[in-house]
Amino acid sequence: MKRILIIDDAATVRLYHRGILENAGFTVVEAVNGLEALEHVANTVFDLYLVDINMPKLDGYGFLRELRSKDIPQAPAIMVSTEAAVNDQKLAYASGANLYLIKPVRPQRLLSHVLTLLGLTLPNPDHSL
Amino acid sequence: MTLAVVNVSPIANKKFHSLLIKTKSEIEMALTKAASQPTTIEDERQRIRDQAGLLIALADSNPLVRRWAARDLLTYSNVSAALVERLLIETEPSVIEVILTTLTRIGDECAIEGLIRCLRTENAMLRNAAIEAMKLLPDEIAPFISHLLNDPDPDVRIFTVDVLESLRHPQVESWLIRVITEDAHLNVCGAAVDLLGEVGSECARPALLALKQRFPEEPYIQFAADLALTRIAAG
Repeated sequence: MKRILIIDDAATVRLYHRGILENAGFTVVEAVNGLEALEHVANTVFDLYLVDINMPKLDGYGFLRELRSKDIPQAPAIMVSTEAAVNDQKLAYASGANLYLIKPVRPQRLLSHVLTLLGLTLPNPDHSL
Repeated sequence: MTLAVVNVSPIANKKFHSLLIKTKSEIEMALTKAASQPTTIEDERQRIRDQAGLLIALADSNPLVRRWAARDLLTYSNVSAALVERLLIETEPSVIEVILTTLTRIGDECAIEGLIRCLRTENAMLRNAAIEAMKLLPDEIAPFISHLLNDPDPDVRIFTVDVLESLRHPQVESWLIRVITEDAHLNVCGAAVDLLGEVGSECARPALLALKQRFPEEPYIQFAADLALTRIAAG
């Protein structure tokens, strides 16, 4: 079972994303900021990261830079933010994001991107996302 | 390549903890550089103590000097403007942290306006740190909230909602209700409804129901509003 780490300081957003991903069969772990996420990364192998930008202690950019500098198996990262500015998107990709999505992300869109990045397809193609 | 392990004093050891195993030439270069600098933190702090000297030190190339200057400027008046100007160009996280701490402790109008300016910076780290600092100043920030919630930039409005997250102020709920009632931007409402789920009371119920009506096709708003309503009902 694929394991996804959701990193967001907003509890409602974590719950929203967790619901979408768990309904699709993923195992989900949550972190409230980049520092807590790095602690998870030290102990667990993740298949994908869903990362907010603006968080206290260590933001999404900082987390990704730290993550990408580590000598560990790397996994794709989706940066999710309310900010649509081109500069933020450039910074996200420069920090190591594989995809930048603007909140709020519709369930079907999020799942579609997650599956693509993981090289997966839905078990039932007729399943409504 | 010649490898070496160096034994140094505790203070020097702190500076060189990452240099324990290096080439001999690298170590010699590092030691030469260290010898030209003050050997203790107190030395750095004792260089200059008057206000004018500290303001100059705030622009020093050594982050340690800037950090001490930012800390020691707390004892002087009318230094907020200089601290804010430095804050907006400072890149060293530890210096940013000290400047923010000093501005928070000063808490005058200039310091508050400086923190608010940080909401518009492209530097996410500075912006987030400023938001955390603003949360510590509920009474000082409160007079600015209404104005910030009307800012034409939706990102500034979202960051203002972030400030409200831990702001211990009696108006927080009414500000959030106003946002989800009046703000046309989906993400600003999304940020506010998140928070209402944590701090909202029965007073927020009509506004949450109205928000669901305003954004019937937005799954996240429906989810977050329902969650907030459930939490409010649960008390």
